[in-house]
Amino acid sequence: MRIGVVRGHVVLSIALPELRGTRFLIVEPVTAENLAKNDGSGGGKALIVADQLGPGIGQLIAFTEGSEAANPYWPNLAPVDAYCALIINDVDYRPPVPQGE
Amino acid sequence: MFLARIDGRITSTIKHETLEGACLLIGQRLEADGKPSGEPLVVFDRIGAPRGAVVLVSTDGDIQRKLRGNTTPARLTVVGLVDFVAGAAV
Repeated sequence: MRIGVVRGHVVLSIALPELRGTRFLIVEPVTAENLAKNDGSGGGKALIVADQLGPGIGQLIAFTEGSEAANPYWPNLAPVDAYCALIINDVDYRPPVPQGE
Repeated sequence: MFLARIDGRITSTIKHETLEGACLLIGQRLEADGKPSGEPLVVFDRIGAPRGAVVLVSTDGDIQRKLRGNTTPARLTVVGLVDFVAGAAV
């Protein structure tokens, strides 16, 4: 799962019946540099993420990509390739400082 | 599968019901030259990988489905702690 900041959401007027009850978040993935800063910046290429948890704008989430993103709809099949698996409370992120920089 | 360095962990209260009790670490993918690549990843750990450790991560979610049920969105799994790598600098 990548980590992303919620920037907004998309509302559909017509949707496939499999997707009823699903919200579609606009999510900006967080890069390593911005995660270390922890200032709410993202830096990655934004994408749309299916959601059933309801995070607010500015909150950090972790989202699954690939076929596992459709698992929550099992036994139904849903054309979902990114899914908000959790809302992040707290990040404890301390990558090593690069040598010689 | 790929190698990743453990750089931290996250906590979460509101999550998919199948993720209750999961240990969620932040991994940084490493390429063959040992340099980090891509964005930080949240990975599922059962072996107690410590911060700074290099681990082997699988992108296959089947083991998570077996552990957590068919509806789980869990995917990236720590499958082992790397002892050493021969033939490439990591």
